[in-house]
Amino acid sequence: MDDRIPLRLHINGSDHELSVPARKLLSDTLREDCRLTGTHVGCEHGVCGACTVLVDGQPTRACLTFSAQMPGHEIRTIEAVAEGGRLSPLQQALHEEHGLQCGFCTPGIVMTFEAFLRDHPDPSDEQIRDALSGNLCRCTGYHNIVGAIRKAARVMREAEGSGHVAP
Amino acid sequence: MSHPEFRHIGQALPRKEDKRFLTGHGRYLDDIEIPGALHACFVRSPHAHARITAIDLDAARTMPGVVAIVTGRELAQWTTRHRMAPPIEGLHAVEMDSLPIERVRFHGDPVACVIAADRYLAEDAAEQVFVDYEVLDAVTDMHQALQPGAPLVDETLSSNLVSHQHAAFGDVDAAMRSAHRIVESRYSQHRQTHVPIETRGCIAVWDEGREHLTFHVGNQVPHPYRTMLAGRLRLSESQVSVISPDVGGGFGQKITLYREELAVAAIARELKRPVRWREDRMENLGASTQAREDFCRTRAAVDAQGRLLALELEILEDFGAYCFYPGNYLARVVAMILTGPYKVQDYRYDVKVVLTNKVGNAPMRAPMAVTSWVMDGTLEAIARELGLDAMQVRRLNMIEPGDLPYTMATGEVLRDVTPRETFEGVLKAIDYPAFRARQAAACQQGRLLGLGLCNVVESTTYGSAFYKSAGIPGSGHEAAWLRIEPTGVVNASVGLGATGQGYETALSQAVAEGLGVEPARVRILLGHTDIAPYGMGSRGARGGTAGGGVLYLCAQDAQAKVLAIAAQLLGLSEASGLRMVDSRIECAAGEEWSDTGLSLADVARVAYLDPTALPAGVAPGLDFNRTFDPPPMTYSNAAHACEIELDPGTGGVKILRYIVAEDCGTVLSPVVVQGQQHGAVAMGLSGALFEQVIYDKNGQNLTGLLSDYLVATASELPDFEIIPMHTPSRHTPAGIKGMAEGGVMGAIGAITNAVNDALAPYGVVAERQPLTPMVLRELIRSRAQEN
Repeated sequence: MDDRIPLRLHINGSDHELSVPARKLLSDTLREDCRLTGTHVGCEHGVCGACTVLVDGQPTRACLTFSAQMPGHEIRTIEAVAEGGRLSPLQQALHEEHGLQCGFCTPGIVMTFEAFLRDHPDPSDEQIRDALSGNLCRCTGYHNIVGAIRKAARVMREAEGSGHVAP
Repeated sequence: MSHPEFRHIGQALPRKEDKRFLTGHGRYLDDIEIPGALHACFVRSPHAHARITAIDLDAARTMPGVVAIVTGRELAQWTTRHRMAPPIEGLHAVEMDSLPIERVRFHGDPVACVIAADRYLAEDAAEQVFVDYEVLDAVTDMHQALQPGAPLVDETLSSNLVSHQHAAFGDVDAAMRSAHRIVESRYSQHRQTHVPIETRGCIAVWDEGREHLTFHVGNQVPHPYRTMLAGRLRLSESQVSVISPDVGGGFGQKITLYREELAVAAIARELKRPVRWREDRMENLGASTQAREDFCRTRAAVDAQGRLLALELEILEDFGAYCFYPGNYLARVVAMILTGPYKVQDYRYDVKVVLTNKVGNAPMRAPMAVTSWVMDGTLEAIARELGLDAMQVRRLNMIEPGDLPYTMATGEVLRDVTPRETFEGVLKAIDYPAFRARQAAACQQGRLLGLGLCNVVESTTYGSAFYKSAGIPGSGHEAAWLRIEPTGVVNASVGLGATGQGYETALSQAVAEGLGVEPARVRILLGHTDIAPYGMGSRGARGGTAGGGVLYLCAQDAQAKVLAIAAQLLGLSEASGLRMVDSRIECAAGEEWSDTGLSLADVARVAYLDPTALPAGVAPGLDFNRTFDPPPMTYSNAAHACEIELDPGTGGVKILRYIVAEDCGTVLSPVVVQGQQHGAVAMGLSGALFEQVIYDKNGQNLTGLLSDYLVATASELPDFEIIPMHTPSRHTPAGIKGMAEGGVMGAIGAITNAVNDALAPYGVVAERQPLTPMVLRELIRSRAQEN
């Protein structure tokens, strides 16, 4: 089964020259070949959402994506969210609101909502819960995650309103 | 919430763990790089019960990347069998092979292990292992398993009844004879599984030169696990180090030594190469451990006002195919604590545990989860039968403050609990009379509202004396060490195994309080058996009381030595007028405290680098050890109230409001405790409404994907309202009681009572979970057809 193919993937602003088997999942390539282990694998059938990354800005299940599909696309993973070591408003709100416990599902939730908050600056709780229903969390019961997302949206709106560009 | 007498315990500090998790820099099992590691994949039985007649490995051996394939026969030479035979009356001794050799007992039972260069290749080769089976009759229903002639799950036993215990207290028969009424009710709890988002997995690294195994595994009890692993490999404890990294959830699934893990360890030693294994989700759902499946029946003798005179409980639990734990381990606790916050002294129980051809059981967050549903459900049944208000029946039977300490019929003692306060707390918050008015008005419009109440007394911390009285071998003690380094920073460790609870934050607050330093100065080291002291790990809700308690005591020892040295350095004859606050030594001057100019760093420097300046008899260094055995049992208590709307057309349940009043004593971290309350309630609601492991009559598991085994998402769960209460225990360090499982107990009771309240106009009662739309529609239809 050694049908390796050469790939150039654009991940977090850098090019990665790789040679991987044609069937290799994006989640495994990110973790094993690019050493970006923040993308977690929870079910490998697209339900739990732990492996969510952004492909051209859209939340995508890395466990349902072949690496070979990805040349020419922009991939963003959890490692690129905190710029210069500074947590994003969403990450900061999750910390302040205790929106994570074991942390295994957290990267997928952060990636889902980095995109969601960009597209929905003032979401209702129902919209938040609906979007969050694609990410399973077994620890928190979601209450504090919803609160953190609500808070992050507010912080980002205020930063926008005060003329600062939200990070 | 903060306790006035504490400076750091009870402060709402954000978690120390968060930054690494939020930025993708956690270190879970698969994130550990081991150069040259091979990958394992298990070949599993497609049958629920079968004899293995042949295993053909030829095709698989020639597959690319395959290094070895191991079956039960090889593994039997490299390991010892597992024997489960604690001396408990009514419990049959059982043994199991390291991997099945002759017979498989459930769909998913492992029969061979393929080792290959990577996981893809190992999975390819596993598909080329051909096992011939002679299929045997399977039994997948616990009631049928007890019938004469049922297929035997374990051929060494004379029946599938692996454990049977009963006990009687007081004179139940006399009370039954004289009772106004005897009310019978039933409770069927379905099979569930833990679903940590990180599945099981392990990495075994054998060092041939040192004859030493380093075993990385996400585990809740690293030290007892190491003892078991070493023993099964015929190694000494000195030859095995267990390292448990960041763990993506456990919930009870990551306690026992699994056969897959033992196999990986033994194979790594044989091959003299590192081997790693990560189970996939289908294996996790169908071959790890499962929980909860039981049937309960109560018979309550009552007077005309609904006062309990006597109570009888029967439990039948389905334990699955293998005993990873003693068969009585889970159900007996339900029987021991059933009566919880209610007064009844004439009581008897009968607990039967049976084997079936399904995955073996493990404790799952609140192994005694059914308790509060059964007890409060019994009071609801009494109210229904006598035409009373179930809220009033609860009040009538509840322990009052003057009854404490209250000794339950079984001998369990409740101290420092406040069931009446938590119950009245939720009734006030939900505005009980207003709800009833709202419910009646909604009913006029054809809408069904329901209110469910549930009172919980949660057994949290099991001391060694409880284990002994329950006939379970083992200990409830915990161990800690603490070291103040020469610069005055603090490292401390305890035998707990973290799986997301936030120990690095909450336990640093316990240390900070006991020692007199800032929590930021304290680093908590966990999950490495070469570093952590030998403690009993994380099970039940013992982390706070046993782990936090022992660290608090150890830190107090440390403070005493620091102050003794400080007194010498200050030229004082004794340390009684000194204290340490945030690493500064302070001296009493009347009512006031003043800074002495000495800091912890000054004291530490002397202790390590200038020991001749120490007081006579004081040894150099600042290293401390402590063990602590908690009281036999510690209890927290809570009351839950859940308001729902039931759609009679679809059977769908919408949770409108959820309130919990919980008294778990002194709280180390209110942030962590609130998170645990939310998570426990969520797990209870999810289990009661959606989750279900389904086996067909042939024993095929039909719920192998997360799209079949349904876990509640954010869309199905409500916001949670918590009313915190904090009556300290007078019998534990700092008054900590422990918590984190009671939320499950209350939730499954409250949601079911709410559904039954909504169903009341139909005159039907849901006696089984999950409360799916199909089940509820069937109940509604059954009534419609009768009329």
